Amino acid sequence: MALERSVSRRRLLQLVGGATVTAGLAGALSACGGGNGSSSSGGPLKVIGAGSQEAGLRKALDDYKKAHSDFDFNLSFSPADQLQTALRAQLAAGNAPDLHAVYPGNGSAMSMVQLSKANLLTDLSSQSWTQKIPTGFKGAFQNDGKTFIFSPGTSVLGAIYNKKAFATAGVDVPTTWSELLSVCDKLKKKGIVPIALGAQTPWVTQLIDYALVPGTVYAKTPDFDDKMTAGSASFADSGWADAMNKYLELQKKGFFNDNPNGTTYEQATSMVGTGKAAMAVQVSAVLQAFRQASPTPDDLGMFPFPATDVAADNWIPGGVVVGIAVSAKSKKAEQAKKFIEYCGQPEVVNAWAEAVACVPLYSEGDAKVDPVLKPFLPYLKDNKAVPFMDQRWPNAEVQPTHFAVVQELLGGKSTVPAALKKMDEAYRKTA
Amino acid sequence: MTVTAQAVRRDAVKAPRRRGGGIAPPWLFAVPALLIYALVVLYPAFSGAGSAFTDWSGVGAQRSFVGLDNFQQLFHDDQALGALRNTLLLTVAIVVVQNGIGLLLALGVHTGIKSRMVLRVVFFAPVVVSPVMVSFLWKYVYNPAPDAGLNAALGAIGLGGLRQDWLGNPSIALWSVAFTVIWQCAGYSMVIFLAGLEGVPQELHESAMVDGAGTVARFRHITWPLLAPAVTINLMLSTVGGLTLFTQIIAMTNGGPGYATDTLSTVLYKQAFVFGKFGYSTAVALVLAIFVAAVSFIQIGYLRSRETAA
Repeated sequence: MALERSVSRRRLLQLVGGATVTAGLAGALSACGGGNGSSSSGGPLKVIGAGSQEAGLRKALDDYKKAHSDFDFNLSFSPADQLQTALRAQLAAGNAPDLHAVYPGNGSAMSMVQLSKANLLTDLSSQSWTQKIPTGFKGAFQNDGKTFIFSPGTSVLGAIYNKKAFATAGVDVPTTWSELLSVCDKLKKKGIVPIALGAQTPWVTQLIDYALVPGTVYAKTPDFDDKMTAGSASFADSGWADAMNKYLELQKKGFFNDNPNGTTYEQATSMVGTGKAAMAVQVSAVLQAFRQASPTPDDLGMFPFPATDVAADNWIPGGVVVGIAVSAKSKKAEQAKKFIEYCGQPEVVNAWAEAVACVPLYSEGDAKVDPVLKPFLPYLKDNKAVPFMDQRWPNAEVQPTHFAVVQELLGGKSTVPAALKKMDEAYRKTA
Repeated sequence: MTVTAQAVRRDAVKAPRRRGGGIAPPWLFAVPALLIYALVVLYPAFSGAGSAFTDWSGVGAQRSFVGLDNFQQLFHDDQALGALRNTLLLTVAIVVVQNGIGLLLALGVHTGIKSRMVLRVVFFAPVVVSPVMVSFLWKYVYNPAPDAGLNAALGAIGLGGLRQDWLGNPSIALWSVAFTVIWQCAGYSMVIFLAGLEGVPQELHESAMVDGAGTVARFRHITWPLLAPAVTINLMLSTVGGLTLFTQIIAMTNGGPGYATDTLSTVLYKQAFVFGKFGYSTAVALVLAIFVAAVSFIQIGYLRSRETAA
């Protein structure tokens, strides 16, 4: 008789059902939230930009709206990692925003080549600004001879440094690898973290390799990408091994902050901004974030990160920054194209480039370039700049593999040959 | 007269009877719900499953039939096999520790202590917080700096030697994520065990006490057997939750450092949305679904037999 009063499974299910439904409903609501993605049929032009381009894109949209009373827009931004996912999900579902961020060249699931191959981008080739794209950058904008994205220019990659920290340690900007090691040593002895590294944020992991590879690979083998495409070169048997060994040398000498794999980009940014760390290897497009993190933004400068002891071999990475494209399924494609045509005007290109600290795509007359970028201009002029490596990689798997193997190396769970073997395997997979 | 009328009315609305007696459920009432379920769950699931046999990138219309290539690739994919290992380790840790703590908490707040109602609320509170919020909270707690979060707390109590890079060390990161999940979900297990404990007759305990049974003996011979339905539900829910764990990993480590915290769920997500391999991703999802279903059926079969024995 007493046993009949014990709780049966059905009763238990009733008891927990309420909690389950509540928890499930909360999840379902959050999962289904923000479903207002389809924007193309009416209302303002829906735009999603890359977070690093916010200042320039917002200014261009605001200025265009002032000049066109019938124009309105709904603008939002997405961090780099989310562009790969949220926006791609919208593209797959057929409800992408009218105007959205796209990575130049190839090598990412959200890159111009991958999306144009899937017929998801509108052809912009008829616009006059496309004729002014420098020959060396056409691969970033064009696929099969058609232009699919607009980008305000090129971002350079180097060391963003805190001048006060350098002054405290009594060191100058290094121009060779040996000088860099010496500078880091002196900074460390002064109790200043030489290089802030936020490798928990995946895209940050690649930057030191990207800074070193132009010197260890491309200065000696400028056609390295073509050789990789032809299958006559590999990461493992190239200067990539030298670059990764140097990356690890910096770690072994204690020139990074403690626990880089557990440190985020934001934390690393703050360390340099406040002078706790002396420098961080970064793209110029994020200079604004470093300035915001610093009580004295004018104390921040930038210099090319030296990869070798031969000054002539120290090339720099300089890639076209994240661009914008018109969704092929947009019902407001004409309106979006007109805005992009406006963006292609030289004064708009200049203003946008200045706002995001990059070198303008082209200029008529004197271009306004952020003063901290001046050390990089001679490299661009002398054709010693190499596009960001991923822009020539054939599929979207190499870059995330690079992120992962660098984290494994920093965590002591892999070796340089094993890491490069994984990258080679990812490279050889079909696009 | 009254009895006769009742009998007549019963005959008039005579319900279908089960073979073993009792009234059979009116299945027609379930049709609308089944139709909606078929439309929003079964149809998308089966139509999406077809992608597992293609090389679709996830965007655009281009796709080719590749047969079982995606499945063959899956069983030779080091990343997927590593993710399977992580998934199983996480599941075992979550099932054992979460339910162990949940049971202890339930036993603790089932006593006559004054603050038991407050404690029930406190222990259950993390369950109602969004997993993303909990993950960001713990990401802060796991800050690797010696003067922040958990490391600072360890230093303050003289355990500075135990400071760790909780999410950045590949050997520790998986367990840091598991601890966060257990911290959030132990209260959920507690509530289910508590419901089971409420149904254990007090008379049995009293008679056992008269017979001289101690606390441990009473738990072993009375409470534990009668908790069998609660154990079944808790083990089922935590197993399925562990095998499909996604949110906390993406929010805290994104599968890193390296591949140290990747699970089958994060692999299928990355394959679809980062690598642009929707076909392969769907193959991973199908295998995961079949795996979870198989484990669940085996588990519930065993636990039901245990309930019957109890």
